[in-house]
Formats: sequence, structure tokens, C-alpha cells
Amino acid sequence: MAQSRIVAAVEIGTSKVAVLVAEIANGRSLNIIGTGQATSSGIRKGHISNQREVCDCAHAAIAAAEKSAGAQVEGVYLAMSGAHLQGFADSGVASVSAADGIVREDDLRRARESAKMRDLPTGRLYIHHECCGYVLDGRRVADPVGMSGQRVETGYWHVHGDERITADYLHVINGIGLDVDCIVVSSIASAGVVAGEEEKKSGVLVLDIGAGTTDYALYRSGTIVRTGVIPVGGDHLTNDLAIGLRMNARYAESVKLRYGKAVVDANDKNDTVMLIGDLTIGDRPISRMSIHKIIHARLDELFTIVKNQLGSEISAQNLPAGVILTGGTARQAQICDLAHEVLGVQARVGECPQWVSEQSLRAPEFCTALGLLSEGFNAMRQRQSERSKSRWLGKLGGIFAR
Amino acid sequence: MDNEGILQGLQDLDGRQAIRIKIIGVGGAGNNAVDRIKLDDLGQVALAVVNTDTKTLSASPIQEKLLIGRSLTRGMSAGGEAEIGRRAAEGDEELIAKMVDGVDLVFLLAGLGGGTGSGAAPVLARAAEKAGAVCLAFVTMPFTREGERRRQQAEDSLAELRESCHAVIALPNDMILQQVDEKATVLEAFAVADEWVSQGVKAIWSMLFQSGLMNVDFATLRNAFRFRGGKTLFGIGRGEGEDCVQKALADLDLCPLLHLPEYKYVNKADSLIIHICGGPDMAMAQVNQIMDAVCDKFGSRQNTVIGAVVDGAMRDAIQITVIGATEVAAGAANAASARAAAQRRRMAAASGAAANAAARRPLPEAPATDVNRLPSKEPSASKKASQDEFDFKVDDQRGFFDKTEANLYQGEDLDVPTFLRRGIRVQP
Repeated sequence: MAQSRIVAAVEIGTSKVAVLVAEIANGRSLNIIGTGQATSSGIRKGHISNQREVCDCAHAAIAAAEKSAGAQVEGVYLAMSGAHLQGFADSGVASVSAADGIVREDDLRRARESAKMRDLPTGRLYIHHECCGYVLDGRRVADPVGMSGQRVETGYWHVHGDERITADYLHVINGIGLDVDCIVVSSIASAGVVAGEEEKKSGVLVLDIGAGTTDYALYRSGTIVRTGVIPVGGDHLTNDLAIGLRMNARYAESVKLRYGKAVVDANDKNDTVMLIGDLTIGDRPISRMSIHKIIHARLDELFTIVKNQLGSEISAQNLPAGVILTGGTARQAQICDLAHEVLGVQARVGECPQWVSEQSLRAPEFCTALGLLSEGFNAMRQRQSERSKSRWLGKLGGIFAR
Repeated sequence: MDNEGILQGLQDLDGRQAIRIKIIGVGGAGNNAVDRIKLDDLGQVALAVVNTDTKTLSASPIQEKLLIGRSLTRGMSAGGEAEIGRRAAEGDEELIAKMVDGVDLVFLLAGLGGGTGSGAAPVLARAAEKAGAVCLAFVTMPFTREGERRRQQAEDSLAELRESCHAVIALPNDMILQQVDEKATVLEAFAVADEWVSQGVKAIWSMLFQSGLMNVDFATLRNAFRFRGGKTLFGIGRGEGEDCVQKALADLDLCPLLHLPEYKYVNKADSLIIHICGGPDMAMAQVNQIMDAVCDKFGSRQNTVIGAVVDGAMRDAIQITVIGATEVAAGAANAASARAAAQRRRMAAASGAAANAAARRPLPEAPATDVNRLPSKEPSASKKASQDEFDFKVDDQRGFFDKTEANLYQGEDLDVPTFLRRGIRVQP
């Protein structure tokens, strides 16, 4: 097979650049063979503010990953986030052209194309088209090829982004001499990892709360219904703490990680914690209650924004599988309780699937990069199955034509 | 407290009648607030209620009642329409004028957002202005959850009130009620809101009537509130026990009303009243300590009025009330009224009290930081000044996100810490 068996995933996040390199063995199993990580600089709220700094850290991370994998990466799957991403739903229709009424791949292609017809305003470009399944004469079917009918419809969730911001990201990867095979929206990538097929079928909301942005993806009947980005993340928590408790960002970050809690508990009223904890000069007691209040206010607002944006989609009926939280901020203590309280549906922190054996990669921070890998893996498998399917269909068509 | 005696003394001294104060509650929420003040019994203060709703009016224990808009609503409330409230008040302007006639100091209490409060309060304020009274308004702003429409009505009404009142103190319900603990009943929650209003009224009342170490007279008070159209800063801090001064200052620091985003840039008030209420054991050194700390935080010494009174009930306790006014108009819409205020001020300065005028004239500030914050204290440049301050305010609050694009969502900048925007008090 000519296709390369190496898949590389690059997530240029606000806090870190994560690179994973995996090998697809025998076309069916995915083995992570290399990882690389670098602390990001030059990115705020998911937007590149200093191109050179971002290039430097992305290149460092990719080089580290290549080295640990012992393999050369050629193309990468790149995660995309940021407030510039927007989405809308659109559908396409095609009538089945064959005289025998059997749906062919060509009919689906026409339906898909008509769904993608809408022109974007200048300066915007499509990042992702997510197919939300097919409807054949009013029936929902997963794959109508080979079935008989007259009219095939397809629904799409389109994500589009700002041309220049997207180009900036591409330049970072191209600058090291690599090609971007595919851009995947972060929310879709992380949802692919933490939400199982069953949950996607019954209805689930995945919230990836990263450092700079919160990406969400809502699934129902196994397909994406909506995605979105809110430019608020863990950095906001740190900044709020730094301003509210009058400390520098570095201490605020460590206070957030050590003592952060999403709900305010009256029992903590008189409890204090030490700012640094090693009794150096400048170490001082801070009220635990204050830390919790600041974090609670921010996360409460974040969940309220999610609730406002999704409206009636968030309800116990529409989301039987509840909300899955992931991303670095999902580590905040009792964040699920708060999400449950604000959104009114069950919430839990997402778990990595079993195939990720390495413990350090099972942290919520890596689920976007893992999602990219599995996207790449799926895309490769799909290409293989399409090849075999088209052979099978060719035979089928031959039988009916006779 | 023997107010009778003090008042008698006042009358003897200037040979004219003592100042007359009237607290007027407008609309349902205003009526409730006045009812509560009646329970506190301030003495020497006339209470009155104005409403469009006969039912609420008749339930109120206040003597002086005024039903407005009888022909318009037949005593059946304004139904949440500020326009109806306003028309009702304008229709009965004569009665309202009679109500404020001869009063020196009017407190207007209202809950904005509803019909009567939002609509009638500005009309009353204008009537009080016409009658030559100093008019201070304490108003509560509606909950965010009450919806955009009520918020808009409240904002409109607030802007109108700022034009004709000497000071408008807006208390957001959102902020006040977050202090109430979860199990509190609705009644208790609203009692907290009323408590804030009555504390404010009481502070000013005790400034004028209680005997003290340093008395503030009515003329000083009027002087301090001579600008209109600006924002009013208001905070209360209370401390008890051994180091009550430190505790009161810390409490004042945490006062949620001083943490509202809009006050972030009026933190240097152009005129400031500091009122200290303490027990008979209060020492002058304590008063000085408080003055230093508060002046340092809120404004320049030139325009600061200090009052300190002794209350027998306040043993081992100190309460600090800070009321400040700014010349800087709230926005472009208020620039005109600020200019008018400036003109009034100039006229007042020219007409007399040369010594006072010299003290009042804004002196150039020495510290560099102050110059940055208020590039010019001259009222003619008030519009520009407010613009510059707006920049300062945003930079100050965004920290790490300074110099990145504003992150706007429903009119709020999400990069500014949530607790600041919601006015949650946090102990640093």
C-alpha cells in the first residue's frame, strides 16, 4: 500500500504544543510511538499573537516527537480552535438518478456537493464539513448506497474560520517543511476520544476547556449537531486569581492547580492556604474561600454561556449521556458538580479509551491530540474500505444491469 | 440620642428653622424601603410614599401618601411600564411639587426596572431640584434574570436621575443578594437590599443630627454634592472589637458596592465625605488613622469632608461610610449635564465664599499616577477625561489579556475577571 503508515497529530494550544506520532499496524491498530511537547508562547485565547515564538515552540515539539518516534513525519493532522471559528447547518438533496432506483455513490456525492454549495463571505474559509447522516425518502439511514429510493438528503454541520488566522496556523507547520494533511476542529477531535459511540447515539455534549478556549461539540443520533468555541479557558482562571488575590501569574497558576475548586463551600470560610508553601519571603496566607469564589464565578459564567448558546439543546431529554468535560481545566476539583448545577444534566470528566496505554497521555490535556490521531486512523481505514466497497458495488451493479 | 436638644441648638444659633429632611419612597420597592426606615425610627425626618397602586399605598404605615396617576391607571399600578409611571407622575406634578416644597434634603428611594419606580422617580427628582432641595437617590437595579427590558428601563431611568439628582447611589440587586445565604427566604433577601438603602440614609442622617467630634453641617453636605451627572461612590465598612479600626477599614475595602466595575474608574472622587460613627470611647487618633487610610484610597485631601459622631449604642465598634462624587460624566450623553454642573459651580464660586472657592478649585495633583488617571480635572475637558479613564479602566482589569482584543459577549468583556464584573467581594 502506497499510503504512509505514520500519522502525526499536532495541537497548537494556548498553553502547550502537543505532538503525537503513531504508527498504524496492519491497517487496524494504532500504536503511539512518539510524543513531543513544548510550552506555548505567543498564543492567547487560541489566537497567534507572535508568529515567530509559536513557530519556535511548535518546531521544538515536532522535532522532539520525531526523535522519540525514530521516524520521519511527512504530513500532520492539525487541530484548530479559536473564537474565529463559526458553524452552521445546511442540507443537500439529490434525486436518485439510476432507473432501477438503487442509490449509487454518485447520488450521494451530488447530495453532498449541494450541501456544500453555500458561499462564505470574503475572508472566511471552510475548515470542516461534518456529515450528519443521510435521509432516504424520509428514512434515516447511515449509508444508503445499495438501497433503493428516490430522493436522498444529507445534512451537514459546516465549520468555517477566518482565512488569515487559519493561514497563520498553516504557515507554522509549513515552515518546518511539513504538509498539513487535514485540519480538524479541536472540539470534534477531543469528542472523538472521550465520547463513545453509544453516548454519541443517545446524545452527549463534550466540553473541552483548554487554557485559552472552551470548545464544545454536541452529538445526537451518532452525529454532530453543533460545535462552538468560547474564548474563555484556564488562563482566565489564572488571570482572575492574579488580579483578585494580587499575585503574579506564575503563583496564580500554581494556586489554581493546587487549591482550585469549582464550588464554594461554607466550611472553608476561615481556612487559609500558603501562597508558595516554602516559607520564603513573600509567602503569605490566602483565604481558600477567596480562591474558590473567583474560580466559581468564572466557571459558573462559562457554563452559563454554554447554556445560553445551546439553549434548549441542553436538557435531560436531549442529553441522556450528559456532559463530558475534558481539557486541562477539567482537572479543577468538583467542576462536574458545578456543571451539573448550571447545565442541569449529569456531568463527568472524560476518560481516555483503553487503547491509550501510556499513563501520561491519558490526562485530559492530551485528548485533542489523541482525537487527531484517531481521526487520521479512521480516515485511513475509510479510504481502505471505500476501495473494497467500490469493488463490491461494481459487482452488484453488474448483477442488476443484466 | 437627644436630637431634640441639638436641633434646638441649631435653631438658636442661626436663628432660622432647622433643616427639613424628607424620605420619599417611589413605587413598590421604594415604599417597602421607607416602611423599613420607619421601623428604624430616625426621628426629625418626614417620611412619604408615592405610588400608582392603591393597594400597596393603603398597606403602608407611612402617614404621608400620594397616589399618582389616578385618572390614568385608576389606582391599579403602572404594570411595569415606565412610560405609564412617568405620565402618571407628570399628570400630578402639582401634588408632587407640594410634597417637596420647603424641604432642604430629599432622599428618593426607588426600585428601578418596574413601572412606577423607573417612571416617576426622575419626575420627583426634577420637582425636588426645582424646589431647591438637595436630592439624593438610593435606587436598586433589577436582577439580571429579570430580563433585558427591565434592565433597559432601569438604565434609562438611572441616566435621567443622574441629571437632576445631586447624588444617585445605585445598588444592583444581583450584587446585594449574593451575600444572602442560600437558605434565606425571599423576604430576608429583600430585607438585605432595604438594609443597604436604610444604612445609607442613616449614615447621612447621623452625620447631620448626631452629636460628634467633628460635625458636618448641611451647607457642607450640599457643597459636596454640587456636581450633577457624575457617578456617586458609596461604601460602608464596619468593625467591632479590639482593633475595630483595622477591621472597619478591611470591611470597607471589601464593600461590594466599591467593587462594581463602574466604580473602578471613579476611585479618585472629586469630592468625598467620610463619615465615622463610633462609640463614646472613640479616640481622635483612631479618627485620624481612618481619615488617612480612606483619603489615600479614594481621593485627594483638598475636597474631603470628614464627620465623626459618637453613638452610645456603638460600644467598641466603628462604622465608616464613604460617599464620593465625581465631576466626570458617566458618558457622552451626560457630558452636557456635566458642563451645566461646571457652570453652576463657577457661578457659585464667583458669587461668594472666596475662601471656600479657593479650597475647592482643583489643584494640580503631584503624584504622576494621579496625572495619568485624571489627565485634566478641568470640567471643560470632562468628555476627554472620561475617555482616557475608560482606557485606564480596561487596562487595569484585564491583566494577562491586556492588549489583546476585547472578548465581548452580550456587552461584557469576558477577559475582565468575572468576580469583578459581578461585584463579588473577595478577600485578597
